[in-house]
Amino acid sequence: MKTVDIVERIEGEARLNCTWENGFVKDTQIDFLNFRGFEYILEGKPALDALVYTPRICGICGQAHLKATVEALENIYKSLNEELVITNKAKILREIGLNIEIIDSHIKWFYMFILPDVIKLKENDLKEYSPLKGKRWLEACKTASETIKALAIIGGQWPHTSYMIPGGVVSDPTLLDLTSMMNYLDLAINFFEDSIAGVSFDKYLSFNSVDDLNILNEDLKYFTNLSFEYSLQKYGTSYDRHLALSDSSISKRGKIRQRLTDKLDLNKIKENCDRTFKVEEDSKNKEKHTWSKAVTYNSMFYETGPFSRAMVSHREFIYELHKSYKDSVFTRVMARVDEIAHLLHSTKELIKQVDISEESYIKPKISLKDIPKANAKSVVEACRGSLYHNVSIEKGIITKYDVITPTVWNLGPAIKDEKGVAQKAIIGSPSLDIAKIVLRSFDVCSVCTTH
Amino acid sequence: MKSHKPTIVWYQAVTCNGNTHSLLSASSSRLELFLNSFDLIYHPSLTIDTTLDDILKLKDIDFLLVEGAITSDEKYYSINQNSTKNILEKLSQKAKYIISVGSCASYGGVHKKFEQNDDILGVEEIIDTKKYKNLKHEIVNLTGCPVHPEWILQTVFSLNSFSRMSLDDEKRPRELYSNLAHHGCTRNEYFEWKVEGDFGQKEGCLFYDQGCRGPMTHSSCNKILWNDVSSKTRAGMPCIGCTEKDFPRENMLETKKNIGIPLDVPLGIPKRAYLSITGVAKTFKIDRLNKKLMD
Repeated sequence: MKTVDIVERIEGEARLNCTWENGFVKDTQIDFLNFRGFEYILEGKPALDALVYTPRICGICGQAHLKATVEALENIYKSLNEELVITNKAKILREIGLNIEIIDSHIKWFYMFILPDVIKLKENDLKEYSPLKGKRWLEACKTASETIKALAIIGGQWPHTSYMIPGGVVSDPTLLDLTSMMNYLDLAINFFEDSIAGVSFDKYLSFNSVDDLNILNEDLKYFTNLSFEYSLQKYGTSYDRHLALSDSSISKRGKIRQRLTDKLDLNKIKENCDRTFKVEEDSKNKEKHTWSKAVTYNSMFYETGPFSRAMVSHREFIYELHKSYKDSVFTRVMARVDEIAHLLHSTKELIKQVDISEESYIKPKISLKDIPKANAKSVVEACRGSLYHNVSIEKGIITKYDVITPTVWNLGPAIKDEKGVAQKAIIGSPSLDIAKIVLRSFDVCSVCTTH
Repeated sequence: MKSHKPTIVWYQAVTCNGNTHSLLSASSSRLELFLNSFDLIYHPSLTIDTTLDDILKLKDIDFLLVEGAITSDEKYYSINQNSTKNILEKLSQKAKYIISVGSCASYGGVHKKFEQNDDILGVEEIIDTKKYKNLKHEIVNLTGCPVHPEWILQTVFSLNSFSRMSLDDEKRPRELYSNLAHHGCTRNEYFEWKVEGDFGQKEGCLFYDQGCRGPMTHSSCNKILWNDVSSKTRAGMPCIGCTEKDFPRENMLETKKNIGIPLDVPLGIPKRAYLSITGVAKTFKIDRLNKKLMD
């Protein structure tokens, strides 16, 4: 038996094709049928305009793209031995902005894209978790909206600010601004304590064993109970190989194949287009079924995202959950929600570290327009995982721009007989509902694949 | 408010979902009132029990909100195995009001720059409003990349209460787009006295070097603040003119100049008047405006 389903309530739309045998998914294919051509758009544009364009690749993780663009352009200076001086203040303000956007995204993802589907396994009436109406749904939405205000203080607005620029950041917050930012984060911490985890923030941050699941209350307890009732701690396992291309304020770069290493070589990242539509050809080729490319590190598929970050950084609670429940839907979702707490904690600390007497911005001595030819890469940990930008410029004009988003790592198609990460995870699902939850556990973003 | 609530369908075409996330970032009490006053029966990222197929079977929709540019090219874009143009046309037949949410839906926006697909349009370019009998009003363009959430709420509430809105030549509500982004900017005094700014400063105006389009961009970004707290120009980022039809322009973060003078002068101000005033203002060195705001 074959099924073809349109999956909505992700960012954008995807098509999930499943082949069934004895009631289980035997094979699967994920199609992203939409393409917006950002890499093409960027060609021929002035380099600094990329700061306006790339955040618009994605309405939810635009700040990750902004940071990746800024750092790629700054790495151009570095490649010419003209490294820019970026003050500690500017670096921290960038990290804070990125973190806040990730917190916003994680909260929305859990309440809007995951929890409703998991509850639906058991209940028809979502009650307080009902989209747009339910009390808890609205509280979650409010918390995300209050949290993002902290970013608007330094970015001017969200979504789609370009407050990071080569040389620093455009804004110069006061102590009062920083205080307000901490206030907004405190609202999110309160929500985490009262509604997400149901335990005190400090207690949660000290979690380090699988038994700590028993201390949870509120929505994580509800999610845990439902997960065990419907075996989500068993479904959704994939290669269990993890990659984090960049450091962040709460995690380290590195990869786990069988063991952990922090040695990474960006030249080992390779994109594959065997199954990917091309702009230049009108493809009737049956092999090609998606706009998403596939990507490997050293010829191997790796998962990326909050779960992989937790694994690579050996964050204890998630590391322990993984020992019992491997790379299942349950562990993957828990890792993402867990990251909310660690990000909130770390971001508040970062705000305290901002020295307002430092410069926000130091103007580069050389204009990108005066650089005959150069190329540079950058990597950033975005809400869904590792993001890679690679830009080539000539006299200030972009000649080539390559973007590899986390969704491509996790949800790209197979290469030869080797299944993509999410594809492999979906195989073995006992129902379409579970298959879709497995797919969702990677946080599908179809606008991400359409670079 | 238990009586019949007007229905809203949010249709997503070629988009980054930025307007959806802008809406979700609205002032939460306002968003809650909005969700309580209207029945948002379909939004592809948010609602759970309705599919686009269900919506296509409905006879009437009160408000059709469109996010994203429209294309008939199914190679690059298809929703529900159909082109975004076909679906838009079907939905438009049912709608009493059509609102283009954001610059992409209004005129193609960023996506129009993907030249390999030469068929990217705004809603208004596709829908001939005379043909659609249910329509009670011209299409309303809420431009902006993204649009400010409060502009969406005010527009829908207002059309629902008064069935009319005064629109400008670009079909934008006059009450939201008659002001310039410049109006209400905290850097106005620096503009008046021609004190140039730089990135990373609280002081100085971003019009002279950083490409700020505040004085020629129709929007109420500095009147109705973003996320209730700030605006790009207040924070230190130049306005990039994202509510205007020529967005995105080239070299958005620098000011095009001729002999050291901005090539584009504030909207409607004769160049000669602007140059005279500038010349006069520059002869004065105002101490307070050349010092740090706070030391």
